[in-house]
Amino acid sequence: MPQLNPEFFVSQLFWLVVTFSFLFVFLWRVSLPRIGNVLEKRERKITEDLTAAKELQAEASQIQEEIENQLKQARTDASEMIKSSSIALQDKAQTELKKLDKELETKIDESAKAIEKSKSESVSQIQKQIHEITKLTLSKVATFNVSDDEIKKAVSNSERSIN
Amino acid sequence: MAAKDSPLKQFEIVPYSNTEVGSYDISFTNSSLSMVITVAVITLFLTLTVNPRSIIPSRMQLISELMYNFIAQLLSDTVGNNGKKYFPFVFSLFMFVLIGNMVGMVPYQFTFTSHIIVTFALAAVVFIGVTILGFVNHGIKFFTFFYIPGVPFYMHPLLIPIEVISYLSRPISLSVRLFANMLAGHTLLKVFAGFVVAMPFFTGALPLAFIVALTGLEILIAFLQAYVFAILTCLYINDAYHLH
Repeated sequence: MPQLNPEFFVSQLFWLVVTFSFLFVFLWRVSLPRIGNVLEKRERKITEDLTAAKELQAEASQIQEEIENQLKQARTDASEMIKSSSIALQDKAQTELKKLDKELETKIDESAKAIEKSKSESVSQIQKQIHEITKLTLSKVATFNVSDDEIKKAVSNSERSIN
Repeated sequence: MAAKDSPLKQFEIVPYSNTEVGSYDISFTNSSLSMVITVAVITLFLTLTVNPRSIIPSRMQLISELMYNFIAQLLSDTVGNNGKKYFPFVFSLFMFVLIGNMVGMVPYQFTFTSHIIVTFALAAVVFIGVTILGFVNHGIKFFTFFYIPGVPFYMHPLLIPIEVISYLSRPISLSVRLFANMLAGHTLLKVFAGFVVAMPFFTGALPLAFIVALTGLEILIAFLQAYVFAILTCLYINDAYHLH
């Protein structure tokens, strides 16, 4: 078996020491610190990012809370404004209505008066005309004179019966 | 079977130079070439794949990082916080054995881990280092390692020699495990390769299929043995800290 041949034992040991020492020193001083640094850097970056994300999340939730509060405030403000303005409008409308009522009443009064006036005027006009027509008719038909007072009495009598 | 076609021929050492220092022959051989290739592969891979500025690793860098984390995890699981000091050594050992085994799986490449002198030297470094570590940590109390508490006193004359022998056989078991696995696996591959040539007509396809399957198994064993070497080293280091 070639493994048990001591001819090359020294050579193999020598080259083993040379190569393994080189490997050990190289890995110890160069390769492993590099990999270790990369891993450490990544770990640090991840934890940094995570803490930053947590902070941002907290900030975001705070902002959301603020927004919600503002919205709530705005809603209550708006409902209050609506309430107060509707009350004011109602008040105003009532006063306006009252004013209108009053105006209308006075107008109605005035018109009623005017109607009354024109009615009495036209009634007196009609009476006068009836009187004259009666007088004229009588003067044509009858040979005697009838006094104005008697005609008036007769007309008013017949008026009553009509009414 | 002629010596030329022996399945053990692959383990023969072929010198490429004839270098002698004093009376020692330190010729550069196929074994040395294999070691140099192994070290070159490890150092180049771990250096070139890792970009120190990258936060997101490339696929190749991920492999380097996985190796790093694998051994770091192994050390912290077995030794705990004391293990960090030995990380470069255990990592170098693991990578050296692993890539040495893998380089040996390349056809026509020499497998230096199949030589008992190499594996024994590695195991001896571990054994001597761990023993020194034990004495540094515990002084003369290190010998209580061989004394098992809670055993009837009349058992000690029997148990203490057993413990001493088992401790002294650590480098042998560590080195022979790796050496024998590599030797057996590569020899088996060669034996079946011989069948492929020797069998008539197309029946040689059968051992060929077997070789394909065995190659997969050998790659698994290459990894497994490197892992076993590393984990046993970790356990020995742990023993040097906590005697029992």
